Amino acid sequence: MSYSAPEENTLGVILGRGRRRESDATRRVIREATPRRASLGTGFIAIGAAVVFGLRAIYGLVWFVGLLPTYPNPVPAAFAWVVLIAVVAAVFITSRVIGDQLPDWMFAIFLVGLAAAVALDLWAIWPLHDIGRNTTAAVTAGMALVVVITLRKTADILVSVGVLGAVLAAAMVLNTNADIDDVAPQITTLAFAVLPAVIGVVIVRGFRRLVQVELDRVLVQSTVSAPRFAVGMMASEELARLDLAAEELLDSVATGRTKLPLSPKTASVAASLATELRLHLIEGRRETWLYHAITESDMLGKSVTLTDKASLAGLLDPQQRDGLLSAAWLLVSDTAKPSETRSVAIAVGPAAASAEVHGNRKITVPVVITTTGVARNRVDPATWDAIRKVGQYSDSTQNSSLRVDIHCLVDNPADN
Amino acid sequence: MDLIAKERDRLLQRTARVFGLSFTVVSLVCLLIPGAADPVAVLLCLPLYLLLGFCQYRIGSSRSLLWVLAILALGVAITGVITVAGAGPAQAGISAVTQLGGASLASTAIVLTTDLPRRILLAAGFLGVAGSTTFLLYPEQAPARTIALMVLGWTLSAIVGFWISAGVPQAARRIASIGRAHRAERQASETEAQRRQGARLLHDTVLATLTLLAHSGVGVAPAALRQQAADDARLLRQLRLGATPTPQASGVYNLEVVEETVLGTTLESVKQRFGRMGLEVSWHGTGQVLLPSDVLDAFLLALAECLENVRRHSGVTEAHVTITDDETMVRAMITDSGVGFTLDDVDSARLGFKESVVARLKEVGGKARLFSAPGSGTTVVLEVPR
Repeated sequence: MSYSAPEENTLGVILGRGRRRESDATRRVIREATPRRASLGTGFIAIGAAVVFGLRAIYGLVWFVGLLPTYPNPVPAAFAWVVLIAVVAAVFITSRVIGDQLPDWMFAIFLVGLAAAVALDLWAIWPLHDIGRNTTAAVTAGMALVVVITLRKTADILVSVGVLGAVLAAAMVLNTNADIDDVAPQITTLAFAVLPAVIGVVIVRGFRRLVQVELDRVLVQSTVSAPRFAVGMMASEELARLDLAAEELLDSVATGRTKLPLSPKTASVAASLATELRLHLIEGRRETWLYHAITESDMLGKSVTLTDKASLAGLLDPQQRDGLLSAAWLLVSDTAKPSETRSVAIAVGPAAASAEVHGNRKITVPVVITTTGVARNRVDPATWDAIRKVGQYSDSTQNSSLRVDIHCLVDNPADN
Repeated sequence: MDLIAKERDRLLQRTARVFGLSFTVVSLVCLLIPGAADPVAVLLCLPLYLLLGFCQYRIGSSRSLLWVLAILALGVAITGVITVAGAGPAQAGISAVTQLGGASLASTAIVLTTDLPRRILLAAGFLGVAGSTTFLLYPEQAPARTIALMVLGWTLSAIVGFWISAGVPQAARRIASIGRAHRAERQASETEAQRRQGARLLHDTVLATLTLLAHSGVGVAPAALRQQAADDARLLRQLRLGATPTPQASGVYNLEVVEETVLGTTLESVKQRFGRMGLEVSWHGTGQVLLPSDVLDAFLLALAECLENVRRHSGVTEAHVTITDDETMVRAMITDSGVGFTLDDVDSARLGFKESVVARLKEVGGKARLFSAPGSGTTVVLEVPR
């Protein structure tokens, strides 16, 4: 085993040439749990999108059949429908078979198929000089993008539908007679071609965000059952890494591969390894579940600050922890506008006088939640239920934002 | 309310907002085409459209059904104004009305799928809007065509709503199972960290060796240092492979898992280790003290750290350790006659004193005091409870 310098140390300092440490637990877990983009419920959404497209296609086909007698040459239009349905069916089935994904080349074929359908449809109706009233397959082609919406990046879909819209608009300008009565059908046709995919993008993005937020919450929720003092999720990994780095260094010294006395560079690596190891061994177990919950969460980490000098949060029982975590969660996540900035500060302790409850001696731990940007009347009712789980509370307004004082009764750790 | 249900409702509301607003704009654009409808009707409709847009914006953030009812009422009112006023709508006016009824108002179906009262309202809303629009457009457009468009718009919209409502619990179930796996992983991580942190004596010897290496191994015989590095690497490998090593052969610490350990034998091995590195340690006082193992760990670590500081900084090669004990405490006094230092001048963190000595002694209820002056050596007193 030969020694190689670590890329970064476990205190978050990058030692050079290293990638950034993956501190974002949520993303890590999502990546591990879902190697492919479309998983975690979006597969189901994709089926829904296919159903929606199917209905839209039936509607378009009915129109097409109705318009058949007016077409000078219906063959290209019929072909447009055949191409459209074939390409959508092929892509839908293969993406299901190979596991909710759509490689670039397949997406390219899909787009070529849609372009062919649009071109054939436009060719068929060109002599009629009213694209808005006569096009069927070309409009449905816009809707077809909905079928692959969960499998591709948002930008891909938006660019594709933008190009489709531009082509249709250009064709309408070039082809349709400038009669005022014909303008509205062109506009509505364009809207029906472009808007479904745009709305679909909004839905899928919202759904992915929902999954992300829920996952973040569920992962953090596991701290509720942690012991009073705990190491974070990364701690054992970091310790293992440090141990391994130390082992490699010591091994290379022992076998003589690294010459004694050491070069200043290797010596400084040994010094930093020793420092990190020392800190991880000694300081590692000072943090409570709440600290870990806040630092591990994307959502809470951004806007919650914790003051808990005496680590009293560790004394809360699982139900109280659940309440406190949910309350913080609701206060932070429940923004009406995404631009709104809310921050929540949780101060725990100092412990107050003990009290007698049902024959058990309990100590009172005051928990104070101060916020910025949270109006008292905009707080979700579920927040109060959550806070009630922590203990008796009183709420007030401080600097035009909510402040909650909770009297939290916990078991005296000296009795256990 | 369930947090994920809240998130689901928010997603449905936002979707309804985007859906509704975009088709309201399309409908308004159609209406604004010259000659779309009676000019007075168009003027009358403008504020109604504004109100409609506001309600559709509000539906994105409020769960209240009042906004839905307001949207439906405003939509039907606009339809009425356009179709009844003057000589009736032209093609553009008809488009405006169908876009309104078949898409803009249909967007409310998305938020009307989650429970029974809402579904009833959904059915009523569809019947009301489709019926009134078909009836009002009857003079201009064949009912079959209007009805087909209404049915399509409302069906698609309702499917979107139902599908999202059904998809969220599915995702939630999978997320919950990931959460369970994560909880198990957290427990495993906790156990593993405990195991590694529990191998404290091992880490102490590793730390001591690393500290020697940090000073480039100067002042220690290379063979001795290599031997020590090999021992420590072997211990770390055992730890990595899942064993809890008991390094009898390294002779540095006693790692037997017993409740109480005799201090004397371990002191002797500390002495030997420092002897190898060129610091002569003389022991005085009590040799046989029984200590709980965690207290002993902390005590020995602190002692070794102090001796390491003597070796590195004092400039002398001899240190005296005096162990005394009484009913409640065990004390160690580490003295050297080296260069000493002014306490204020030296950052105690630099010596590792705060972390390695004070912190660990405090953990087991002990404490440390440091006395020194330039030219008159250094004395450290360590105390731990018995």
